[in-house]
Amino acid sequence: MATPVIMPRQGNTVESCIITKWNKQVGDQVAVGDILFAYETDKASFEEEAKVAGTMLQIFFAEGDDVPCLTNVCVIGNAGESFAEFAPAGAEPAPAPAEAAPVQAADAAPAEEIAETPVVMGSMKISPRARALAEKSGADLSKVTATGPDGRVIARDVQKLIDAGLLVTAAARGAYQGGLTGTGIGGRVSLNDLKAKPAEEAAATPAEAPAAAVELGAPVDDSYTEPMTNMRKVIAKAMMTSLSTMAQLTHNISYDATEVQNARKLFKEKGEKFGMERISINDIIMYVVARTLAMPEHKALNANLIDDGKTMKYFKGVHLGMAVDTDRGLMVPTIFNADKMTLKQLSAQAKKLAKECKEGKISPDYLKGASFTVSNIGSLGIESFTPVVNPPQTGILGVCAITDGVRVVNGEIQVYPKMTLSLSYDHRAMDGTPASKFLVDLKNNLEAFTLMLARG
Amino acid sequence: MSKQLYVDPNVVRAPGKITFEDIPVNTYQKKVKDEIGNFTTEEFKNIYRDMLVLREFETMIQLIKTTSEYCGVPYTHPGPAHLGIGQEANAVGEAFCLDVEDMIFGSHRSHCDILAKGLSAIEKLDDEKLLDIMKSFLDGKTYAVAEKEPHETVKDLAINFLLYGAMAEIFARETGFNRGLGGSMHTFFTPFGIYPNNAIVGGSGTIAMGAALYKKINRKSGIVVANLGDGSLGRGPVLEALNMSAMGQINELWGDDMKGGLPLMFNIINNMYGMGGQTVGETMGYDAPARMGAGFTPSQMHAERVDGWNPLAVIDAYKRKKKLLQEGKGPCLLDVVTYRMSGHSPSDSSSYRTKEEIEAWWEQDPIVEYRKQLIEAGVATDEECDAIVKSVKDAILRNFKLAIDDEVSPRMNLDKNPDELADMMFTNGHVESFAPDVKPDVNMPMEECPRVQAIAKKERWGFDANGKPVSKNKVYQLRDGLFEAIIDRYYKDATLAGWGEDVRDWGGAFAVYRGLTEALPYHRLFNSPISESAIVGGAVGYAMAGGRALVELMYCDFLACAGDEVFNQMAKWQAMSADIIKMPVVLRVSVGSKYGAQHSQDWSALVTHIPGLKAAFPATPYDAKGLMAAALSGTDPVVFFESQRIYDVGEQFHEGGVPAEYYEIPFGKADIKRPGKDITILSFGAVLYRALKAADELKAKYGMEAEVIDARSLVPFDYETVLESVKKTGRLVIVTDACERGSFASEVARQITEMGFDYLDAAPTVVASRNWITPAHELEESFFPQPSWILDAIDAKIVPLPGHTRVTNQTLNEKLRNERRGV
Repeated sequence: MATPVIMPRQGNTVESCIITKWNKQVGDQVAVGDILFAYETDKASFEEEAKVAGTMLQIFFAEGDDVPCLTNVCVIGNAGESFAEFAPAGAEPAPAPAEAAPVQAADAAPAEEIAETPVVMGSMKISPRARALAEKSGADLSKVTATGPDGRVIARDVQKLIDAGLLVTAAARGAYQGGLTGTGIGGRVSLNDLKAKPAEEAAATPAEAPAAAVELGAPVDDSYTEPMTNMRKVIAKAMMTSLSTMAQLTHNISYDATEVQNARKLFKEKGEKFGMERISINDIIMYVVARTLAMPEHKALNANLIDDGKTMKYFKGVHLGMAVDTDRGLMVPTIFNADKMTLKQLSAQAKKLAKECKEGKISPDYLKGASFTVSNIGSLGIESFTPVVNPPQTGILGVCAITDGVRVVNGEIQVYPKMTLSLSYDHRAMDGTPASKFLVDLKNNLEAFTLMLARG
Repeated sequence: MSKQLYVDPNVVRAPGKITFEDIPVNTYQKKVKDEIGNFTTEEFKNIYRDMLVLREFETMIQLIKTTSEYCGVPYTHPGPAHLGIGQEANAVGEAFCLDVEDMIFGSHRSHCDILAKGLSAIEKLDDEKLLDIMKSFLDGKTYAVAEKEPHETVKDLAINFLLYGAMAEIFARETGFNRGLGGSMHTFFTPFGIYPNNAIVGGSGTIAMGAALYKKINRKSGIVVANLGDGSLGRGPVLEALNMSAMGQINELWGDDMKGGLPLMFNIINNMYGMGGQTVGETMGYDAPARMGAGFTPSQMHAERVDGWNPLAVIDAYKRKKKLLQEGKGPCLLDVVTYRMSGHSPSDSSSYRTKEEIEAWWEQDPIVEYRKQLIEAGVATDEECDAIVKSVKDAILRNFKLAIDDEVSPRMNLDKNPDELADMMFTNGHVESFAPDVKPDVNMPMEECPRVQAIAKKERWGFDANGKPVSKNKVYQLRDGLFEAIIDRYYKDATLAGWGEDVRDWGGAFAVYRGLTEALPYHRLFNSPISESAIVGGAVGYAMAGGRALVELMYCDFLACAGDEVFNQMAKWQAMSADIIKMPVVLRVSVGSKYGAQHSQDWSALVTHIPGLKAAFPATPYDAKGLMAAALSGTDPVVFFESQRIYDVGEQFHEGGVPAEYYEIPFGKADIKRPGKDITILSFGAVLYRALKAADELKAKYGMEAEVIDARSLVPFDYETVLESVKKTGRLVIVTDACERGSFASEVARQITEMGFDYLDAAPTVVASRNWITPAHELEESFFPQPSWILDAIDAKIVPLPGHTRVTNQTLNEKLRNERRGV
C-alpha cells in the first residue's frame, strides 16, 4: 500500500522546515532505514529515515522548498500504485497537533500541486511569472523594488528578494501584511513574527481584578510567564551583544538650549509659509550632530568597528540612525547623508522614515547602513541615561529633556534652559579625550545654532 | 508567353471581321413515337421511372419542409432544401448518356442531378461491381440499411442504397453518403461519378474544369459535366472557367498526344431565375445563355439551346456533344431550358413571378407529357405507368422512414465524440505518387536539367571557410530549395501538374521554376490566364478527380481574387466529404514588398482563420525545401507562403548546408534558430532576419540572450516549443510582417497568454506592421517592423532596457488613440 511521508514537526514552535537534500528520487528503491531526505529548521539539521520499504512513487517538494510541518512530502509504495490522493492539498496555516494523522486530500479532488499562498501586497502590479515565483518561494513582496515597465514587479525583482533572503514562511503568508523583519528559518517572516504584535497588545491589557477572596497580605504566587515576541528577542539579542562585545561607556555634558529653543519657537510661529513649522528640537539636534560628526577629527565616531574589532570602517557621509519607538518595538531607520541636508530636508526625511516605521512600510534598505545613532527620550522627561551602542557603530548620542538649569553669571544666579547630552561610545574605537572633544564641539555648535544654520 | 507563338503585327492589324455561326435553338422536336427503335422499351420506361423518382424525392422534401410530414409520417427538416421540381428531364436526359467514369459537378440544387446520375450508373454497372461499391463504402454502414429493404435484384437494392444514402445525407445522418457532414447542398457519391455539389453559386465551374484537366493530363477517358444554373453565369469564377477551359495552348502548344480541347461540358440548367432575379431581361443581357459560348472560342463551345423539358431532346444533345468532347473538340456549352416550379427554397413565396406563369409551366409538366407520349407510342400502358408510380412512391416512403429513424440512421454525436469530425479536418496522408504505375512525363533526365546542373555548382552553406557570407551568385538560395523539392516530386508523381501566371518560360515571377520549362512538358506546367479563381478552383477539381496539383498566386494580395476557391473549396471538401475526397493541393503564395498597398500584404491570418487549411511560411533554404517536400507528399491542402524579400538568402542555420538528398520537414514543428535564456522572439517568415538583428543588439548592448524561434508552419502550429521557451524566459515578443490587427501573431500571443500565464513576466507583445496601407517602397521602413521596433516594444512593455532610446511611440495613450480611430 502506498504510504505518504510527512514533514516531521521538530518541536512545537516549528511551523515548517526546508528540504536541503533529497537522497532518493522518484523510481528509486527504498529500504527501511534509508535516508530519504535532509531538512533543517533555523536551529538544526535533520535527516528523515524511511519507515517503510518500497519504491519512491512521488516527491511533492523540491530541494530548497519550505514545507509546512505534517505535510506530505513524498509517497513510498509499489510501482504503479496511485499516489494522487496523497498530494498535499495546500499549506495549512493553522498548526495541527503533533499526533495528527498525515494531512490527506479529499479523494474526489486530488490536487495536482500544492496550493501556495502568495504574499499579496494590495494592488501591487506584478507579472504572473513574478507572482508565481513569489508564491513558490514565499518572497516578501512588501519589500520588493519594482523594475519592470510602469512600475510592474517582474521576476528579477522577486529573485532579488529571494537572493537577499527576504522570505515569508508558507504558514505565515496568508495573514502577513508586510513590513516585518523575519526571525524564522533563514530570516523568514514566520507565524511567530505575526503573533508578536497581538501578544504585545495582550500583555498591555490589564488582567481582570482577582477575586477578593484571598486575604490581603497572605503569601501568594501570582506570577505568570509569557514568551517574548520575536522582535523583542531580536532586540534583546542585539542589546546583549552590544554590552557583551564592546567596551562601551558614557560621557554626559549639558548645554544652554536657549538658541535651540528660540529657533524652534521661530519655526513654529513663523515657519509655516516656508513649510518649516514642524521642525522639532530633535531635528535641530540631529542637524547639528550630523555637521559636528562630519568634522574630520570626529571620524572615529562616524564609523563602524568591524572584523571582530580589528578594522575601522569610515563613512564619507554621515548616515544618521534615528531611534523610533513603534508598536512593534524599537526601530532605527537611517537618514543617509544627513550632513549634506538642509535642516528642512533633514526634518522631512526624519518624519517620513518615522512614519514608515510606525506603519510597517519601511524598506529594509533604510533599516541598515547607519554610521551613528541619535536616541531621544527627552520628551519623557529623562534627564540623563546610558544609551546602548548599536553594533557595529562606535557611538550613540542620547538626547535628554530640557530642564531649568542654574548657573552663576557675574556673581548672579541665572536660570537657563539646560539639556543633557549622553554619548555612549566604544572605547576600542577611540579614547575618552576625542569622545569628550566631540561632546564639547557639539555643545558649542548647539549653543551657536544660528551660526551653524547660517554656515549651512 | 511563348516564343513559339509569333505576334505578327501584319496579321493583328489587318482589317477583316469576326464571324459567328448560328446558335441552334430547340432544334430537336421529336416525341417518343419518333424514337421507337432508337431506345429499348425498358430504356423508355426507365426514363419515366427516373423522372418520377426525382419528382417524388423532391416532393417528399417539399412536403416535410412545408407541412412537416410526408404520407402521414411526421418529420421536421431544419436544413436547407433547394429543390429541382421541373428540372427532372434535364437531369435524366443528361445522365442517360453519361457513363460511370463521367463526372458531374453540381450546385446547391442538385438532388435531381445526383439521383439521375446514380440511377444511370446503377443501370450501367454490373451486379458484382455494384455490390463491391456498396459494401465497401463507409465500412458498409449505408449498405447495411439498404440491404434489409425488400428487393428482387441487385439493381433494386442499389436504387434503395442510392435513395437511402442521399436522404440520410440530407437529414445529416451518419449513414448518409458523407456521414451527414455535407447535407442537402453537397450530397455526392464519387463511385457513381457524382462529384461534389457546391453551395457557392458557380463554385463548380472552376472545379469541374480542374477535373477535366485531370482527365486530359492523365489521359483518363470520360467527360466532365458542370451543372450550373443560369444565375451562375454572372459569377466571375464561372467566366474564368469558361475562358481557361478554352485556352488556346492545349491545341497550340501542348504535346501532340495532349492536343484537343478539354472534355468539359458546361451544362447551364436554365431555369430562368437566379434566386428571384430573372436572368433574361433583368439581371443579364445575354438574352440566352447559349450566346455565351460564342464569346470564348471560335468553336462557340458548340453551344446550343435545348428543350430541357423533353428528356429525349436532352439525350439527343448529349449524344452529339459527348462525341465532340471525346473527339477533343471541347469544351461545350448547353443552354438547357427548364423551369423551377418549386421555389428557390421552401420559404420562397414566389413574389417575383406570377401565378399564371407558374400554372402555364405546370400545364406542360414534362413528366405528365412524357407519360402521354409513352402511352401514345404504345411503349407502356396506363396501368404499367401507374405501377411505376406506385413502386416509386413506395420506395421513397420506405427509404424516408429509414432515413429519419434515429435508431437506424443515427447522427454523429459530436459532443461525445468530437474527434469524429476533428479527425476529418485533415487526412494527414503520405503519398509518393497518385499514379504509382505511371511513369511521369518529363523532357529529360533530371540531372540534365540546366537548373539542376547550375544548382550543383552552388554553395549549399551560406558561409565560406572564413565565416564570410557566400556571394548571392554562388550561394544556394531559398528559391533553389523550393525548386529541388518541386522537381523531385514532378519526377516521382506522374499526376503532379502545376499552373499559374507566368510559371512557364518566365520561370515564375520570382524564378523559382526556372529550369522546369526545359524539364517538363507543357501539360505538366503551364501558364494560366490571369484568373486566380480558376487557378485555385482548377487545382481543387484536379485533386478531387485524383491528382496532385501545385498552383501559385503571384502575390498574396491576389488571395482576395481566389477567396472562394481557397476558403470555401480547398479548405472544406475533405471534411465535407467525410474524407472520401483528398485535397493534395499546394498553393504557393508569394508575399511581396516594395510594390505598395496591393502587392505587399501578408495575409497569413486569413488562411489560418479558415479551418481545413495547412499553412507554412519558411524563412530559410533548408526549411523551404523540407517543408515543400512535406507539402508535396501529403494529402492535405497547403497554403505555402513565401516571402519575396528572401528568395535569394543562403542557408545560415542548418550546419553543413542544405542537403542535396530528399528530406521532409514535418508541419507543426517550429525551429529554434538561436537559443537563449532571457527573452523569446517568435518570428513568422522573412522577419526572422530582422528578429535576429534585434537579438544581436540585445546581446551587444544589454547582455540579454534572446531565443529566436522560427514558426516555420502556422497550421498546425507548434505551441509546445514556444511554451517551453516562454517557461524558460518568461518573455515573448512575436514579430510578423502582417498588419497587427487580427494577425496570426496576435492569435499566438493570446494563446500563449492563456497557456503560459503563470510563466509570463509580461504580456506577450506583438511587433507587426502598422494598420495602414503599405506605403511606397521608399517609406516601407516606417511600415514594416524593424529591429529597433522590437527593442522598443521590449523596453516599453517587457523589461526596461537601460539607456535605450525608443524610435516608436509605445505608450498606452498612443495605442488607445490609434484604436479609437481604427488604425
